[in-house]
Amino acid sequence: MKALILVGGFGTRLRPLTLSVPKPLVEFANKPMILHQIEALKAVGVTEVVLAINYQPEVMLNFLKEFETKLGITITCSQETEPLGTAGPLALARDKLVDESGEPFFVLNSDVISEYPFKEMIEFHKAHGGEASIMVTKVDEPSKYGVVVMEESTGQVDKFVEKPKLFVGNKINAGIYLLNPSVLDRIELRPTSIEKEVFPKIAAEKKLYAMVLPGFWMDIGQPRDYITGLRLYLDSLRKKASPKLATGPNVVGNVLVHETAKIGEGCLIGPDVAIGPGCVVESGVRLSRCTVMRGVRIKKHACISSSIIGWHSTVGQWARVENMTILGEDVHVCDEIYSNGGVVLPHKEIKSSILKPEIVM
Amino acid sequence: MGISDEKVVAVIMVGGPTKGTRFRPLSLNIPKPLFPLAGQPMVHHPISACKRIPNLAQIYLVGFYEEREFAMYVSSISTELRVPVRYLREDKPHGSAGGLYNFRDLIMEDNPSHIFLLNCDVCCSFPLPEMLEAHKRYGGMGTILVIKVSAESASEFGELVADPVTNELLHYTEKPETFVSDRINCGVYVFTPDIFTAIQGVSSQRKDRANLRRLSSFEALQSATRNPPSDFVRLDQDILTPFAGKKKLYTYETMDFWEQIKTPGKSLKCSGLYLAQFRFTSPNLLASGDGTKSATIIGDVNIHPSAKVHPSAKIGPNVSISANARIGAGVRLISCIILDGVEIMENAVVFHAIVGWKSSIGKWSRVQAEGDHKAKLGITILGEAVTVEDEVVVTNSIVLPHKTLNVSVQDEILL
Repeated sequence: MKALILVGGFGTRLRPLTLSVPKPLVEFANKPMILHQIEALKAVGVTEVVLAINYQPEVMLNFLKEFETKLGITITCSQETEPLGTAGPLALARDKLVDESGEPFFVLNSDVISEYPFKEMIEFHKAHGGEASIMVTKVDEPSKYGVVVMEESTGQVDKFVEKPKLFVGNKINAGIYLLNPSVLDRIELRPTSIEKEVFPKIAAEKKLYAMVLPGFWMDIGQPRDYITGLRLYLDSLRKKASPKLATGPNVVGNVLVHETAKIGEGCLIGPDVAIGPGCVVESGVRLSRCTVMRGVRIKKHACISSSIIGWHSTVGQWARVENMTILGEDVHVCDEIYSNGGVVLPHKEIKSSILKPEIVM
Repeated sequence: MGISDEKVVAVIMVGGPTKGTRFRPLSLNIPKPLFPLAGQPMVHHPISACKRIPNLAQIYLVGFYEEREFAMYVSSISTELRVPVRYLREDKPHGSAGGLYNFRDLIMEDNPSHIFLLNCDVCCSFPLPEMLEAHKRYGGMGTILVIKVSAESASEFGELVADPVTNELLHYTEKPETFVSDRINCGVYVFTPDIFTAIQGVSSQRKDRANLRRLSSFEALQSATRNPPSDFVRLDQDILTPFAGKKKLYTYETMDFWEQIKTPGKSLKCSGLYLAQFRFTSPNLLASGDGTKSATIIGDVNIHPSAKVHPSAKIGPNVSISANARIGAGVRLISCIILDGVEIMENAVVFHAIVGWKSSIGKWSRVQAEGDHKAKLGITILGEAVTVEDEVVVTNSIVLPHKTLNVSVQDEILL
C-alpha cells in the first residue's frame, strides 16, 4: 500500500520552531511529527510514502534517508511549484500513487496527531465498498470547523457544512483519508480543495463513508494545540501502559524523558512533559506541561510550565518560563528572568523579563 | 556654662496613625516609624545618628500614636544606646513646629543649647555633628539640611535659595508650581532655643487674627474654619518662609543620599541605601557567605540572627530578612524585605518585593515586580499572613493581609 502525506508549506503557525526545521521534522514527544505517521503507516503494511511538499524537500529527504532503511519503507517527495490546495497534490503525485495493484491509498494531513487506527480504517473501507473513507472526530465546538453530516449507522456521508452557525452535527474531518485510485480521476492538476470540491461530489454519489476516529485527535499545527496534543498523546500512552513513560519519586503524571537526558536532584517533573535527547535538567527544577527539545540545559531552580523550549536553548537559574512561552532554537534565557508568553525567535539572549505575551524578534 | 557642657536634645517627629496612609498596607500592622529598613525600625536610623551628637542629653519622639505602640521600642533602644529616649504623645496633630512648641517645657528641662528636629520619614546619612558645627559657625537661630536634586523633582519638596558664600537661607517656598531652586529642604534641622519664641510669635499672631475675624462678619467665620487653629504651626510655611532672608536661618548641604519615605516602594529603596551605609558604619550587620556553610550572599544583605537560611539559597543584593524567617533550599531573594516569621519554600524567587509578617511563599512560586520605586505597583507588597501557593506567580501587585493566592496575578490590588 501507498500513502501521501500533505506536508504543505512553511509551517508559519508553528514559528519560531519552523524557522529552524521544516514542520514535519519538529519533534513531538521526542520524535519528529512525521515519523509518528510514517511508523504507523509502516505498521499496517504501507511500503511507499509520498510527501507532498513545497518547501525545503532536500532537508526533509536527507533527514528521512536513514529512516527509509531503518523502517524498510520508500519515502519520496512530490514537490509543488505552486500551492495546489489539499487536492491538487494528489493529482501531481498521481504516478507515484497508482500502480497495477489497484489498492486504495492513504492521505494524511501532516499536522494531525492521533492513535492512527489505520488497520480499522482498512477494514471499514473494505466493508462499505465505497470509493473513499474519511476519519471524523467528535469536537465540542463544531462551529469552528467543517462538519461532516453522515448517516450514523452506516457512516455514509451526506454533506459537508463549513463552519455551521446552526448545529448540524459534531463530527469534523480529521484529515485522514483512505481513497480508491479512481478518486484521482476526479481531481484536476490545479489548485483545488479535497474537502470542498472532491468529497462533496463523491458524497453526492453515496460513495463516501466516514468512520469515527477512536481515541484522541489533535491538529498540532500551532503551539497551544501542540501542548494540548502532547497531553492527549501521553494520556494514550498511559492507557496502553507504555513502558516509555517515566517513573520515580520526582515524576508526577505522564512524562517522557529521553534515555540520554540527565535530571538533577530535587526536581519535580510533570505532568505532560517531554524531555529530549541530551538535555540537562539541573537540580531543583520544576517542569510541567512543556516540551524540552534536544540539547537544552535547564539550570538550577528554574520553573517552566505550558511552554516549548527549542533545541539547544538554555534557561537560567531561578528563571520562570510560562504561559505559552515558545523559545526558538538556541535561545538563552538569563538567570532570574521571567517570561510570560514570550515567543522568541532563534539565537536570541533574553536579558530582561517579558511580563506580558509578546514576540521577541 | 562652658562650651564643653553645652547640652543638645533631639526631637524626632514620628507622626500618627492618620498620617502615612500612603504606606498601606504595611502601616495596617505597624506604626510606619517602626517599619524595618535594613533590619532596623525606620526611626532607629535617625536615633542612632543622634547618638553621634556630642553632649546629647535626651531624644524625644513626638507623635500622636498611642503610647503603648512605642513603649517597647523606646525602652529597648534607651538601654541599647544608653541615651534616654522618650515618647511624647500629642493629643492631636500640631504641625512640626507646633508639636515641638507643645512640649517646650520638657524639651528645655535640661537647658539645652541646641535642639535637633528630625522628620522620621526621611532617609539620609544624617550628618548631625557636622551640621551642628556649621550651625555654630553661622550663629543663627536655625540651620536646615539641604540637598541638590534634579530640577524636575524639586517641586515635590520645599525649594529654597541660599547665599552661596554665607549659606544664609534667602528664600523658601513649599512645593511651588514653578521652578524656584534645585536645592530642597531635607526635613532635618538644628535650632537654638530661640525657635520657641519664633513659633510663639506665629501662634499668637494667628490667635489675634482669629479673634479679629470672630468679631467681624459671617463671611470671615466661614474662612476661619478653614484656617488652621492657632496651636497648629508648620515649620516650612509658617517659620522658614517668613524668616528667610533675615539672617536667622542657614543651610548645610549634604552630598550624601536623601530620600523621603512615603510609600512602601520607597521604603525598599531606602532599605538598600541604609544597607549600603552599613558598609561604612556597621559592617558587622552585613551578612556574608559563599554557599558552602551558609547561603551565597551578593551585595548588601542583612539577616536577623534568628532567621534560618538554607545554604543552597542565594541572597542579595539589597535584601533584609527579619526575625524568625525561614528561607528554604534553592530560594533566590533579590531586592526585597522579608518580615518576621515569613516562610519561603524551596526554589521560590522573590524579586523587588516586601513580604509581610508570617506570610508563606510556596515551592517554585515567584513574587516579583519591575522595581520602579515611584510607580504605584512598582514593588510587589504582600501584607501580613498572605499565602502564595506552590508555583503561583505574583507580579506588580499589592495584596492586603490574610489572603491566599492559588492562581497567578499581575498588576492587581487584592483587597
